[in-house]
Amino acid sequence: MKIGIDVGGTHTDAVVLSGSEILATHKALTSADVKEGIVNALDAVMFGASLKPSDVSAVMIGTTHFTNAVIERKHLSCTAIIRACLPTGTGIPPQCDWPEDIANSLGNHVYSIKGGHTFSGDEIHALDDVEIRSVIKDIAHKGIESIAVAAAFSPMNPAHEVYIANKIRAEIPNANITLSHEIGRLGLLERENAALLNAALGSLADTVVSSMKQALIERQIDCPFFVSQNDGTLMSADYIANYPALTFASGPTNSLRGAAMLSQISDAIVVDIGGTTSDVGVLANGFPRESNSFIDVGGIRTNFRMPDIMAIGVGGGSLVSADGTSVGPKSVGHRLVTEGLVFGGNQVTATDIVVAAGLHSIGDMQKVAHLKPEMIEAAGDEMHRLIDDAIDRMRPSDDPVPVILVGGGSILVSQQLNSASKVVCPEHADVANAIGAAIAQVGGEVESIISYSKIKREDAIAKSTQEAKDKAVLAGADGNSLRVLDVEETPMSYMDDNAVRLRIKVVGELKQLVES
Amino acid sequence: MKQISAKDIKDLCCGAAFLATGGGGDPYVSQLAAERLLEKHGPANLMAPEEIPDDFNVVSIGMVGAPTVTLEQLPTEDEAVKAFDAYEQQTGRKIDAVIPFEVGGGNSTIPLTVAAVRGVPCIDGDGMGRALPEAQMMTFPLYGVKPTPAVLMDSWGNSAVLHCNDPLTFEKHIRAMAVAMGGMISSAEHGMTGKQASEAAVPKTISFATKLGQLLRNHNGSIDAIESELISLFANTQYGAVKRLYTGKVVDSERKIIGGYDVGSAALQSFDANLEPMTLLIKNEYLVAKVGDQVVASVPDLICIVEQETSRPLNAERMRYGQRVAVFGIGCTHHYRTEAALKVTSPRAFGFDMDYVALEDIR
Repeated sequence: MKIGIDVGGTHTDAVVLSGSEILATHKALTSADVKEGIVNALDAVMFGASLKPSDVSAVMIGTTHFTNAVIERKHLSCTAIIRACLPTGTGIPPQCDWPEDIANSLGNHVYSIKGGHTFSGDEIHALDDVEIRSVIKDIAHKGIESIAVAAAFSPMNPAHEVYIANKIRAEIPNANITLSHEIGRLGLLERENAALLNAALGSLADTVVSSMKQALIERQIDCPFFVSQNDGTLMSADYIANYPALTFASGPTNSLRGAAMLSQISDAIVVDIGGTTSDVGVLANGFPRESNSFIDVGGIRTNFRMPDIMAIGVGGGSLVSADGTSVGPKSVGHRLVTEGLVFGGNQVTATDIVVAAGLHSIGDMQKVAHLKPEMIEAAGDEMHRLIDDAIDRMRPSDDPVPVILVGGGSILVSQQLNSASKVVCPEHADVANAIGAAIAQVGGEVESIISYSKIKREDAIAKSTQEAKDKAVLAGADGNSLRVLDVEETPMSYMDDNAVRLRIKVVGELKQLVES
Repeated sequence: MKQISAKDIKDLCCGAAFLATGGGGDPYVSQLAAERLLEKHGPANLMAPEEIPDDFNVVSIGMVGAPTVTLEQLPTEDEAVKAFDAYEQQTGRKIDAVIPFEVGGGNSTIPLTVAAVRGVPCIDGDGMGRALPEAQMMTFPLYGVKPTPAVLMDSWGNSAVLHCNDPLTFEKHIRAMAVAMGGMISSAEHGMTGKQASEAAVPKTISFATKLGQLLRNHNGSIDAIESELISLFANTQYGAVKRLYTGKVVDSERKIIGGYDVGSAALQSFDANLEPMTLLIKNEYLVAKVGDQVVASVPDLICIVEQETSRPLNAERMRYGQRVAVFGIGCTHHYRTEAALKVTSPRAFGFDMDYVALEDIR
């Protein structure tokens, strides 16, 4: 039996799964205390499914703690960055484009040194031990223990980052070190930013993980627990203490993955309709389609693996104009339950239109009896047009796609959507996030720039696939269950004709679950 | 003399991205580098082509290579300045002014930073009035300017001097040198007199791109609302007619790398069901636009695409299904309307089996 818990900014959801069967669900407001919130969620679902602690084989937790810490600039440690790339890169030093408040939170301890590699694998410059020693001495002198290390082209050759890390450990034994190649992709500036955020979250990660562990101990649950990452895969609890930044945006990812499981559809558009906005995402092969643009986290440019989500201003609380031709983006949001007409308020909202049309009975129907049929029809059409339009933009081609509706606002959709081949509204969609956490698998990913003139395409793919599989096994996957999720080849213009950026991603089941 | 300062760079980069007709890559890195240098060294002076003294020694400066490499090998602060210095040393003459290769991507900002650092003016103009992928396509050689001597500088301070017999050979050699020198290099080349520069340069493009970018960035809403302002901005410039060619959504986008180019096509579908789809033929830049079988715009005329709702220029690499776009055709500068110019810049020069038909002559 698996327990999935999603700790969001507002709500904490929990589910118990036996295989793909849902035994219990729970939804509550998120508590300020991490341990208490998890204990409460565990109690509720274990009671609901009549579970003993020994019945639980794994606990999966999704959390927004780390995203919120960056956005609110709270609990961030003083952090130094060592970038190895000189003589290149002097035009754009580390952190030069950071908002001042968060740069100050980390303390502006920026060091650039000789090192790094070129696209062809040569060293940009050999590392200089004297230079490295003097940088580390300075960092030690300042008493800084969180350190990010980034070297040019480290995703292809991490040797320089690893060398520098060893030197740091020798001088600062307690150092919390993040190596950029372990968390980011090609793009030195963005990867270095990701490494900095990750290092700065290190001590918060220790606190959060030990609270989670403590919650399980208190309920005598003695099984492995995992935290979900933003690509829809899991990391073990020990791993997350080192890679907290990989949890950024795991909420929307879990919601998409949960929707896939609930509907048994692996290629679809998922529309999560809330009070103010609808988030539209794409499921491909059961996983979220990733955004191909840079991701802004709290004003900082990163290239994390984030789901490609389009938000539009339509939700249950969206305001409707007097003639019904305009819906949203202004919304009463969570005040819907006091300000909407059916709840005795005086704002005409999208929810009021659905009630007036006789599609759902919510609140006091008499309060919307005065709305004119033309207005109700116009507003209904407009909501559907806006949602249909967003689906059309996100779908991968011109063919109609299955659409999965989740979220409290899914009652807004009652008519046919032109871009949809069918519309499904699965049961338990309100806890899709927790389900997404519970069903997550373990993944491995490898990215490199390769010239097919030097190595045959099949050989290059085979080699990278093996490396990705090794990574997944190291992260806790069962080797036999691994499958290749994605092979992405991006040609590089102006280079030799056969140079590509090759990215391979594999996923598999958790080893513990296969064995148990 | 006009000036460009750090605060103008975002506008310039946005306007240059519009005029880059889909090419030029992600401008973020070059924008950041230019802002920093201009903040440090003060604004760059812009010299209008008609102000250039005839005997001025004008040199074109920019970067050559694979933009993808600069994802990791971030720009070196003084590389282009070193190319400038080495060029002076190689030729034994002071450089009086610098001029961009093209208006588009990082190459519109590099000469400004060199100008600010070395205290010489940057010509308010460029060698294309848009972006194009190869050196022989610049206006300079079309006006008799020799590309070499050219001084190439890499991030390590290694340099090479090229002497080539003709522009095509120069293009071939500098491309190979760029790969050998780390993937991306700075080049000082196309030395010319002030008189030659005033004739060969597409005039006022730097100040124009800045104004254009300002319009697009300040608006940040539907292009429909600023279409007339956009069109009137192009009046009284060296560009020809401006036409809205199409409005629709991207329904297909297919790409491959052939001969170092990002080659492919994209299809747009109008919201007006009676209109046939638009096909765009792409080689780094948007080169040919057809509606049905009818060519509606072709290189060297500009095919500029913006996202309909934000008015932001759409880079060809970023194009994908579902985007709502507005396509504009803009007549090229007179520099490209000669037989010799069309020989190196018309659709045939890119391997398409079709002649150039001026935008103004298409009904």
